[in-house]
Amino acid sequence: MTRKITRRSALITGGAIAAAGVFAPNIARAADPINVGSLTPNTGGGGPFGPKITSAHKRVVELVNSQGGVLGTTINLFQENSETNPETAVRAADKLINVNKVVGILGTWSSSVTLGIMPKCQEAGVIQMCTSSSADIPVRDEKGYVFNFQALSPVWGRAIARLALRRGFKTFNLMALNNDFTRSMMDGFTEVVGKDKLLQDSFYYNGGQSSYRSEVTQLIEKNPEAVFIPSYVTDFTSVYKEIFRQGYEGQVISVSISTGAKFKEAIGDAANGIIHGLPVPPIKSPAYAEYVTETGLEPTDGVQHPFGTAGRDQMSVLLLAIEKSGSTDADKVSKAIWDITTGDGKETVYNVTDGLKAIRAGKEINYSGASSSVEFDKEGMVLGRDFQLAEIKDGKDVVIERLEF
Amino acid sequence: MSGQLIINGIVNASLIAPPAIAFSLLFGILRFPNFAIGAYVTVGAFIAYALNVGAGMPMWVAGLGAMAGTAVVVWLSDVLVFKPMRGHTPVTLLVVSIALALIIEHVIRLFYGADVRGFDLPLERPIKFAGLRITGEQIDIIVMTIVIGIAIHLLLQYTRIGKAMRATADNETLAEVRGINTSYVIAFTWFICGALFGLTGVFAGLDLVIEPLVGWYLTIPIFAAAILGGIGSPYGAMLGALLVGLAEELTVLVLPSSYKIGVGFVIIAVLLLIRPHGLLGQPEIKK
Amino acid sequence: MSAYLISMATFVGFFMILALALNLQWGMTGMVNFGIAGFYALGAYTSGLLSVKLGWPVGITIAMSCVTGLIAGGLVALLSMRLREDYLAIVTLGFGEIVRLIALNEDQITEGPRGLKIDARPFADMFDRETYPLVYLGLVAAAVAVVFVIVECIRRSPMGRTLRAIREDDVVAEVLGKNVLRHRVQVFALGGAFMGLAGALYAHYVQNISPEVFMPMVAIFIWMSVIVGGAGNNWGLLLGAGVVMTILEGSRFMGDFIDFLDAEQLSAIRIIVIGVLLIAILRVRPRGLIPEPKFSFATSTTQQERQPSTENAK
Repeated sequence: MTRKITRRSALITGGAIAAAGVFAPNIARAADPINVGSLTPNTGGGGPFGPKITSAHKRVVELVNSQGGVLGTTINLFQENSETNPETAVRAADKLINVNKVVGILGTWSSSVTLGIMPKCQEAGVIQMCTSSSADIPVRDEKGYVFNFQALSPVWGRAIARLALRRGFKTFNLMALNNDFTRSMMDGFTEVVGKDKLLQDSFYYNGGQSSYRSEVTQLIEKNPEAVFIPSYVTDFTSVYKEIFRQGYEGQVISVSISTGAKFKEAIGDAANGIIHGLPVPPIKSPAYAEYVTETGLEPTDGVQHPFGTAGRDQMSVLLLAIEKSGSTDADKVSKAIWDITTGDGKETVYNVTDGLKAIRAGKEINYSGASSSVEFDKEGMVLGRDFQLAEIKDGKDVVIERLEF
Repeated sequence: MSGQLIINGIVNASLIAPPAIAFSLLFGILRFPNFAIGAYVTVGAFIAYALNVGAGMPMWVAGLGAMAGTAVVVWLSDVLVFKPMRGHTPVTLLVVSIALALIIEHVIRLFYGADVRGFDLPLERPIKFAGLRITGEQIDIIVMTIVIGIAIHLLLQYTRIGKAMRATADNETLAEVRGINTSYVIAFTWFICGALFGLTGVFAGLDLVIEPLVGWYLTIPIFAAAILGGIGSPYGAMLGALLVGLAEELTVLVLPSSYKIGVGFVIIAVLLLIRPHGLLGQPEIKK
Repeated sequence: MSAYLISMATFVGFFMILALALNLQWGMTGMVNFGIAGFYALGAYTSGLLSVKLGWPVGITIAMSCVTGLIAGGLVALLSMRLREDYLAIVTLGFGEIVRLIALNEDQITEGPRGLKIDARPFADMFDRETYPLVYLGLVAAAVAVVFVIVECIRRSPMGRTLRAIREDDVVAEVLGKNVLRHRVQVFALGGAFMGLAGALYAHYVQNISPEVFMPMVAIFIWMSVIVGGAGNNWGLLLGAGVVMTILEGSRFMGDFIDFLDAEQLSAIRIIVIGVLLIAILRVRPRGLIPEPKFSFATSTTQQERQPSTENAK
């Protein structure tokens, strides 16, 4: 009995492997052009942002392909969903690396995903471009293949704190969503305002709860002048509703990723008065203006798509660097990334089209992006993104202060 | 602070009591923990959202629509998925219900994405008394929950169909022999429970935020409340909901709030160790 | 592509060990475990932490993972010995979540949400980069084989018969003079040890673990493997683990060919497909692709159904 089953199951397994084998060469053959991977959080915690990064990646690739590609060949883009979950992301990265033979994996967002796929990428020589803010990213990137298009989160916290102090608030209480990004943002904030300005110990809350009542009661109990809540949009929406319902009259400060258009729509008039901050695209930059046109957004004073803009820059920088280095080798490409983004006395370009033209004309370029001017420090972390504090008034963001770098 | 925490707990309780009653009724008849209840709640929230924001109907109409719509969806889930599988082991059905929950959640995602949404209803500031705070909306929810609890009790105790429901839950074969049309009774139970899940969707949309996982967040507290109260007992479910609601709030007095999410589980575990049949449940008789 | 297949085969290996362990606990003994992710995490963190923080050799840390899994499994079984199977489902789910919460919140020890980076890999310095994945696959395959042989030996032994008796009706087994509690604790502990082993192997393979890896979803995939393959049958669930991974990963390739849907819709459809397939398989072949060979009439489902779960207030 068991023997028979053995043979049958062996047959089935064998068949599956054979089928995969037949399938494989097709994919491998299609791999002649340059392959690029996109691994974005289209569902899960990053769900509200991932699709914007995905489509930004896609737009840049389509544009470049319509102009004849890079190094004379077309770009193949392979897009995967990380589900904002490192367990899934590792396998998706595996597929991108080993099946699609990608040069780089772009668009990871949650730090745990970026860090989770890092060992595989480092080993296989694959460039990573992310918008994650864990301070561990530069530490664990031993080969210099990781480029972060987002300021590290303590920087966010410090900038928001500075802007908040300028507004004259004297007492604060803090609670943060329990993940690396928001926790270290809270640490950055505390560092700047000083522990003595906090009325009580700061604490963390988990997302996905059936109620945030006790957290809010705890947060506002000593009636601080302002509360700072580093968070994601889903949990912040519930938390803010509760803050309002418990009658807190002080100032609510959060991050702009939690207070986007959908938040304002869901909350309505009660959202007025919230202050929120975020590293922002240089709104006056021609690259940002182009992004707004490309996506068909209404130009507004406020920030739109902080991560979508980064997606545009990631893909542009990678393709430019491939053209510049004339190679898809990770060491050469990563060197070229420095070359085309950082340094003085070069021709500034704001999009991939102009960049490719300039490189082909033999010019030195410095790419300036829609998410920032895209200058990297020695560790591949983006330097100084502008920072902006806005207040919601009549359902719209009104910029109240800006730190420019 | 603890006064406010108790009010918070009562509000929590009134959110999870109706679905806990429904879960308990379904469990009584079907004898497996239906993990799709969270998805049913989400369906309710989204139907109400579509009617309220999409079609511009007033909230109470949207709420009734959500109850009716969810009742139909929940009944259909029985007709299409569970009914053909009656007689399978509880664990098989449990896994099926998880698969169903995944399907429902992602069908919603397919159409609505992961964005946060809210009803077209202004947020309310609280009424304050003696340093405590509660909103009118929360009072409404509490009152409605109490009314529902009483209504379900009356239904089960004094109506023909209610008695038939209890008889079917007790022993389906015996009920059949006694001339009860059990398949009608089961369908009726699904409808009633579906309406309760739909209503919970509306409450959850008001209290939390409308998104594809909103019902899932309530699932464990609902399980905890139903098990704590003793399966098959609506009053038990209400009592269970109250205890779970309070316990989750009061946790912050002794534990960091980052552990709060585990409290529901700990309650279930501890209670089951002491009283494996819940507070008001009757011990199981092995035959 | 071959590197990808090797890697997926390695992941299937982790699934197989977990599925074998679950089969021992549930398929053969009838003890529900939805806390698989918890045991998996416990194994991963035990081995990872011992190797990162204390610098213990990988061989020993992996062994320690089995020990923690064993102890945890034994304790959970002892605590929940009086519970009905569906309640046990919720209690074990809770165990898994609490393990994850501890990993998340006790960051002085576990590095919390930042995740733990693990450099140590077994035999890494003996092979070059190209062959190492194959070596690791071999290692995982060996672990699968060992676990398989142990579980299969138990199934065929007199103890296996006792376990089946407990599964079908523990009261009868008790009456027949079997020590039901002892058997249950043994089996649950052994299953926990295997899950710990799988976790340790996973940790040193991906070299970066964080609490988010160990969500309840993992348990669902393993349950799917066992149910699809055929509960009680060890051969079947090896196939089941392969099928589940093929569905999970195969649907990934769909995206390379379909471009009229955006990524979000595509991933939604992927999970809908998984859900529908699972229900379809359970409908058509309720006892799995390769059902357990019949030892007796005992698996008849109606018998289990007849046990009333609760008695209502009369």
